[in-house]
Amino acid sequence: MLELSLWFYTGCFLAIVGSLATVWGPGVKDPIVRTLNTEIPSIGVSLILLTYNHTLALLTFMATSVIISLILLRAITRLEEIGTKV
Amino acid sequence: MLVPEFVPAMFCLWYLPAIYTGFIVAFIALIGISINKSDIHVLILTDIVGLAMLVIVGAVGTDLAEALVLPGLVVELAEIMAISEILISREMRKKGKSSSLLPMPLSLDMEIMTTAPNFISLLLIGYGIFLTGFTGGAVAGGGILLYILSRKAQGLPVLVINGIGAISGIAWCLWIIGFLLFFVKPDFWLLSLFLAACGLLLKVASKMGLIATLMREEFKRE
Repeated sequence: MLELSLWFYTGCFLAIVGSLATVWGPGVKDPIVRTLNTEIPSIGVSLILLTYNHTLALLTFMATSVIISLILLRAITRLEEIGTKV
Repeated sequence: MLVPEFVPAMFCLWYLPAIYTGFIVAFIALIGISINKSDIHVLILTDIVGLAMLVIVGAVGTDLAEALVLPGLVVELAEIMAISEILISREMRKKGKSSSLLPMPLSLDMEIMTTAPNFISLLLIGYGIFLTGFTGGAVAGGGILLYILSRKAQGLPVLVINGIGAISGIAWCLWIIGFLLFFVKPDFWLLSLFLAACGLLLKVASKMGLIATLMREEFKRE
Protein backbone atom coordinates (compact mmCIF):
# COMPACT_ATOMS: atom_id res chain seq x y z
CA MET A 1 0.00 0.00 0.00
CA LEU A 2 1.50 3.26 -1.07
CA GLU A 3 1.47 6.21 1.26
CA LEU A 4 -1.14 8.84 0.39
CA SER A 5 1.32 11.68 0.98
CA LEU A 6 3.44 10.30 -1.87
CA TRP A 7 0.81 11.34 -4.42
CA PHE A 8 0.46 14.76 -2.82
CA TYR A 9 4.19 15.48 -2.91
CA THR A 10 4.44 14.06 -6.45
CA GLY A 11 1.75 16.53 -7.42
CA CYS A 12 3.60 19.44 -5.81
CA PHE A 13 6.86 18.36 -7.52
CA LEU A 14 5.16 18.03 -10.92
CA ALA A 15 3.50 21.44 -10.53
CA ILE A 16 6.80 23.19 -9.76
CA VAL A 17 8.89 21.31 -12.35
CA GLY A 18 6.17 21.69 -14.96
CA SER A 19 5.93 25.44 -14.45
CA LEU A 20 9.74 25.65 -14.71
CA ALA A 21 9.53 23.63 -17.94
CA THR A 22 6.88 25.98 -19.28
CA VAL A 23 8.90 29.10 -18.54
CA TRP A 24 12.48 27.99 -19.29
CA GLY A 25 12.15 24.51 -20.79
CA PRO A 26 13.73 23.44 -24.09
CA GLY A 27 12.01 24.65 -27.23
CA VAL A 28 9.56 26.98 -25.55
CA LYS A 29 10.21 29.66 -28.16
CA ASP A 30 7.60 27.75 -30.14
CA PRO A 31 4.21 28.59 -28.55
CA ILE A 32 2.81 25.15 -29.38
CA VAL A 33 5.57 23.47 -27.36
CA ARG A 34 4.87 25.89 -24.52
CA THR A 35 1.14 25.08 -24.62
CA LEU A 36 1.90 21.36 -24.51
CA ASN A 37 4.27 21.92 -21.57
CA THR A 38 1.43 23.45 -19.54
CA GLU A 39 -0.06 19.95 -19.37
CA ILE A 40 2.68 18.87 -16.92
CA PRO A 41 1.73 21.29 -14.09
CA SER A 42 -1.94 20.61 -14.75
CA ILE A 43 -1.28 16.89 -14.11
CA GLY A 44 0.42 17.94 -10.86
CA VAL A 45 -2.57 20.06 -9.83
CA SER A 46 -4.88 17.14 -10.70
CA LEU A 47 -2.90 14.89 -8.33
CA ILE A 48 -3.12 17.50 -5.56
CA LEU A 49 -6.91 17.84 -6.02
CA LEU A 50 -7.18 14.04 -6.10
CA THR A 51 -5.43 13.61 -2.74
CA TYR A 52 -7.71 16.25 -1.22
CA ASN A 53 -10.81 14.33 -2.44
CA HIS A 54 -12.10 17.26 -4.50
CA THR A 55 -13.99 15.08 -6.98
CA LEU A 56 -16.15 17.71 -8.67
CA ALA A 57 -13.29 20.19 -8.80
CA LEU A 58 -11.05 17.54 -10.37
CA LEU A 59 -13.62 16.62 -13.04
CA THR A 60 -14.27 20.27 -13.93
CA PHE A 61 -10.55 20.99 -13.93
CA MET A 62 -9.85 18.19 -16.40
CA ALA A 63 -12.61 19.42 -18.71
CA THR A 64 -11.50 23.06 -18.56
CA SER A 65 -7.80 22.26 -19.04
CA VAL A 66 -8.65 20.40 -22.25
CA ILE A 67 -10.83 23.31 -23.44
CA ILE A 68 -8.15 25.87 -22.53
CA SER A 69 -5.44 24.06 -24.47
CA LEU A 70 -7.82 23.79 -27.44
CA ILE A 71 -8.49 27.56 -27.27
CA LEU A 72 -4.77 28.34 -27.03
CA LEU A 73 -3.88 26.06 -29.97
CA ARG A 74 -6.65 27.64 -32.05
CA ALA A 75 -5.41 31.13 -31.14
CA ILE A 76 -1.84 30.20 -32.12
CA THR A 77 -2.86 28.73 -35.48
CA ARG A 78 -5.06 31.72 -36.26
CA LEU A 79 -2.29 34.16 -35.37
CA GLU A 80 0.12 32.25 -37.60
CA GLU A 81 -2.44 32.30 -40.39
CA ILE A 82 -2.64 36.09 -40.17
CA GLY A 83 1.15 36.18 -40.41
CA THR A 84 2.13 37.50 -36.99
CA LYS A 85 5.50 36.56 -35.60
CA VAL A 86 4.54 34.51 -32.54
CA MET B 1 -5.28 27.33 15.08
CA LEU B 2 -8.94 27.38 14.05
CA VAL B 3 -9.48 24.09 12.24
CA PRO B 4 -12.87 22.28 12.27
CA GLU B 5 -12.59 18.75 13.71
CA PHE B 6 -13.87 17.05 10.55
CA VAL B 7 -10.76 18.10 8.63
CA PRO B 8 -8.33 15.15 8.61
CA ALA B 9 -5.03 15.71 10.42
CA MET B 10 -3.17 14.92 7.18
CA PHE B 11 -4.75 17.91 5.41
CA CYS B 12 -3.42 20.21 8.17
CA LEU B 13 0.01 18.70 7.65
CA TRP B 14 -0.18 19.32 3.89
CA TYR B 15 -1.37 22.89 4.23
CA LEU B 16 2.05 24.55 4.31
CA PRO B 17 3.64 22.51 1.49
CA ALA B 18 0.62 23.17 -0.72
CA ILE B 19 0.68 26.91 -0.01
CA TYR B 20 4.42 27.06 -0.72
CA THR B 21 3.94 25.09 -3.95
CA GLY B 22 1.30 27.57 -5.03
CA PHE B 23 3.51 30.54 -4.27
CA ILE B 24 6.57 29.03 -5.99
CA VAL B 25 4.56 28.18 -9.12
CA ALA B 26 3.00 31.66 -9.18
CA PHE B 27 6.44 33.27 -8.73
CA ILE B 28 7.99 31.26 -11.58
CA ALA B 29 5.06 32.02 -13.88
CA LEU B 30 5.05 35.75 -13.06
CA ILE B 31 8.81 35.96 -13.74
CA GLY B 32 8.17 34.25 -17.06
CA ILE B 33 5.45 36.79 -17.86
CA SER B 34 7.77 39.70 -17.03
CA ILE B 35 10.54 38.30 -19.25
CA ASN B 36 8.43 37.53 -22.30
CA LYS B 37 7.47 40.18 -24.79
CA SER B 38 5.18 38.21 -27.10
CA ASP B 39 1.48 38.43 -26.28
CA ILE B 40 0.57 34.82 -26.96
CA HIS B 41 3.40 33.58 -24.70
CA VAL B 42 2.10 35.80 -21.90
CA LEU B 43 -1.39 34.36 -22.43
CA ILE B 44 -0.07 30.80 -22.13
CA LEU B 45 1.81 31.68 -18.92
CA THR B 46 -1.38 33.20 -17.45
CA ASP B 47 -2.73 29.65 -17.50
CA ILE B 48 0.09 28.62 -15.12
CA VAL B 49 -0.76 31.49 -12.73
CA GLY B 50 -4.32 30.14 -12.69
CA LEU B 51 -2.97 26.72 -11.69
CA ALA B 52 -1.12 28.30 -8.75
CA MET B 53 -4.39 29.91 -7.66
CA LEU B 54 -6.08 26.50 -7.80
CA VAL B 55 -3.42 24.90 -5.60
CA ILE B 56 -3.72 27.66 -2.98
CA VAL B 57 -7.52 27.46 -2.92
CA GLY B 58 -7.52 23.65 -2.94
CA ALA B 59 -5.17 23.55 0.08
CA VAL B 60 -8.11 24.52 2.32
CA GLY B 61 -9.15 20.88 1.97
CA THR B 62 -12.86 21.15 2.84
CA ASP B 63 -16.02 21.52 0.76
CA LEU B 64 -15.40 25.26 0.81
CA ALA B 65 -12.34 24.68 -1.38
CA GLU B 66 -14.40 22.72 -3.86
CA ALA B 67 -17.04 25.44 -3.93
CA LEU B 68 -14.35 28.05 -4.61
CA VAL B 69 -12.42 26.04 -7.20
CA LEU B 70 -15.43 25.64 -9.54
CA PRO B 71 -16.10 29.39 -10.14
CA GLY B 72 -12.34 29.98 -10.30
CA LEU B 73 -12.06 27.49 -13.12
CA VAL B 74 -15.01 28.92 -15.03
CA VAL B 75 -13.72 32.48 -14.67
CA GLU B 76 -10.24 31.43 -15.83
CA LEU B 77 -11.71 29.70 -18.87
CA ALA B 78 -13.83 32.73 -19.79
CA GLU B 79 -10.87 35.05 -19.28
CA ILE B 80 -8.53 33.08 -21.54
CA MET B 81 -11.26 32.76 -24.19
CA ALA B 82 -11.95 36.52 -24.17
CA ILE B 83 -8.28 37.57 -24.16
CA SER B 84 -7.39 35.24 -27.03
CA GLU B 85 -10.27 36.65 -29.09
CA ILE B 86 -9.15 40.23 -28.34
CA LEU B 87 -5.57 39.33 -29.27
CA ILE B 88 -6.62 37.82 -32.59
CA SER B 89 -8.92 40.68 -33.54
CA ARG B 90 -6.21 43.24 -32.71
CA GLU B 91 -3.68 41.43 -34.89
CA MET B 92 -6.25 41.19 -37.67
CA ARG B 93 -6.78 44.94 -37.54
CA LYS B 94 -3.03 45.61 -37.50
CA LYS B 95 -2.32 43.43 -40.53
CA GLY B 96 -5.58 44.20 -42.31
CA LYS B 97 -6.07 40.49 -42.96
CA SER B 98 -8.77 38.17 -41.78
CA SER B 99 -8.38 34.54 -40.78
CA SER B 100 -10.83 31.69 -40.94
CA LEU B 101 -12.81 31.11 -37.79
CA LEU B 102 -11.88 27.46 -37.60
CA PRO B 103 -8.42 26.84 -39.06
CA MET B 104 -8.62 23.08 -38.70
CA PRO B 105 -10.33 20.94 -41.31
CA LEU B 106 -13.34 19.48 -39.56
CA SER B 107 -16.26 17.78 -41.16
CA LEU B 108 -18.95 16.02 -39.18
CA ASP B 109 -19.56 13.37 -41.82
CA MET B 110 -19.73 10.36 -39.58
CA GLU B 111 -22.35 7.64 -39.75
CA ILE B 112 -22.91 7.83 -36.00
CA MET B 113 -24.11 11.41 -36.39
CA THR B 114 -27.12 10.27 -38.41
CA THR B 115 -28.08 7.00 -36.73
CA ALA B 116 -27.27 7.23 -33.02
CA PRO B 117 -28.07 10.75 -31.70
CA ASN B 118 -31.78 10.18 -31.05
CA PHE B 119 -31.19 7.39 -28.59
CA ILE B 120 -27.94 8.64 -27.05
CA SER B 121 -29.21 12.18 -26.46
CA LEU B 122 -32.46 10.86 -24.94
CA LEU B 123 -30.38 8.70 -22.59
CA LEU B 124 -28.08 11.58 -21.66
CA ILE B 125 -30.93 14.04 -21.06
CA GLY B 126 -32.84 11.54 -18.94
CA TYR B 127 -29.80 10.74 -16.84
CA GLY B 128 -28.97 14.45 -16.50
CA ILE B 129 -32.47 15.26 -15.22
CA PHE B 130 -32.15 12.38 -12.76
CA LEU B 131 -28.82 13.77 -11.48
CA THR B 132 -29.92 17.47 -11.29
CA GLY B 133 -27.53 20.26 -10.32
CA PHE B 134 -24.34 21.24 -12.11
CA THR B 135 -23.31 17.72 -13.13
CA GLY B 136 -26.78 16.88 -14.37
CA GLY B 137 -26.88 20.09 -16.36
CA ALA B 138 -23.57 19.22 -17.98
CA VAL B 139 -24.76 15.69 -18.86
CA ALA B 140 -28.14 16.84 -20.21
CA GLY B 141 -26.43 19.70 -22.06
CA GLY B 142 -24.10 17.14 -23.65
CA GLY B 143 -27.18 15.32 -24.91
CA ILE B 144 -28.67 18.52 -26.35
CA LEU B 145 -25.31 19.41 -27.90
CA LEU B 146 -25.07 16.03 -29.60
CA TYR B 147 -28.65 16.25 -30.87
CA ILE B 148 -28.32 19.75 -32.31
CA LEU B 149 -24.86 19.11 -33.81
CA SER B 150 -26.11 16.08 -35.67
CA ARG B 151 -28.21 17.09 -38.66
CA LYS B 152 -31.49 16.04 -37.08
CA ALA B 153 -32.64 19.52 -36.03
CA GLN B 154 -31.33 21.84 -38.70
CA GLY B 155 -32.69 25.35 -39.17
CA LEU B 156 -33.75 26.13 -35.62
CA PRO B 157 -36.03 29.21 -35.78
CA VAL B 158 -35.09 32.38 -33.91
CA LEU B 159 -38.10 31.92 -31.64
CA VAL B 160 -36.63 28.72 -30.23
CA ILE B 161 -33.27 30.38 -29.51
CA ASN B 162 -35.09 33.21 -27.72
CA GLY B 163 -37.04 30.58 -25.83
CA ILE B 164 -33.84 28.93 -24.64
CA GLY B 165 -32.74 32.34 -23.34
CA ALA B 166 -36.03 32.71 -21.47
CA ILE B 167 -35.58 29.29 -19.87
CA SER B 168 -32.19 30.47 -18.69
CA GLY B 169 -33.77 33.52 -17.01
CA ILE B 170 -36.43 31.39 -15.30
CA ALA B 171 -33.69 29.09 -14.08
CA TRP B 172 -31.90 32.02 -12.44
CA CYS B 173 -35.16 33.00 -10.72
CA LEU B 174 -35.56 29.44 -9.37
CA TRP B 175 -31.99 29.49 -8.11
CA ILE B 176 -32.39 32.84 -6.38
CA ILE B 177 -35.70 31.85 -4.78
CA GLY B 178 -34.09 28.66 -3.50
CA PHE B 179 -31.16 30.61 -2.13
CA LEU B 180 -33.45 33.09 -0.34
CA LEU B 181 -35.61 30.32 1.13
CA PHE B 182 -32.51 28.84 2.75
CA PHE B 183 -32.19 31.96 4.89
CA VAL B 184 -35.82 33.00 5.31
CA LYS B 185 -37.35 29.58 6.00
CA PRO B 186 -34.61 27.04 6.87
CA ASP B 187 -37.34 24.43 7.52
CA PHE B 188 -37.95 24.20 3.78
CA TRP B 189 -34.34 23.25 3.04
CA LEU B 190 -35.29 20.29 0.84
CA LEU B 191 -37.57 22.44 -1.33
CA SER B 192 -34.96 25.17 -1.67
CA LEU B 193 -32.27 22.59 -2.45
CA PHE B 194 -34.37 21.16 -5.26
CA LEU B 195 -35.25 24.64 -6.56
CA ALA B 196 -31.56 25.51 -6.75
CA ALA B 197 -30.62 22.14 -8.27
CA CYS B 198 -33.32 22.26 -10.96
CA GLY B 199 -32.47 25.90 -11.70
CA LEU B 200 -28.83 25.01 -12.23
CA LEU B 201 -29.80 22.02 -14.37
CA LEU B 202 -31.92 24.20 -16.69
CA LYS B 203 -29.26 26.89 -16.74
CA VAL B 204 -26.29 24.71 -17.69
CA ALA B 205 -28.26 22.54 -20.10
CA SER B 206 -29.74 25.52 -21.97
CA LYS B 207 -26.31 27.19 -22.15
CA MET B 208 -24.82 24.09 -23.75
CA GLY B 209 -27.74 23.94 -26.15
CA LEU B 210 -27.04 27.53 -27.20
CA ILE B 211 -23.34 26.73 -27.70
CA ALA B 212 -24.35 23.82 -29.92
CA THR B 213 -26.63 26.07 -31.97
CA LEU B 214 -23.83 28.60 -32.49
CA MET B 215 -21.35 25.88 -33.44
CA ARG B 216 -23.79 24.37 -35.91
CA GLU B 217 -24.29 27.73 -37.59
CA GLU B 218 -20.49 28.00 -37.99
CA PHE B 219 -20.22 24.58 -39.61
CA LYS B 220 -23.13 25.26 -41.91
CA ARG B 221 -21.56 28.46 -43.16
CA GLU B 222 -18.55 26.51 -44.35
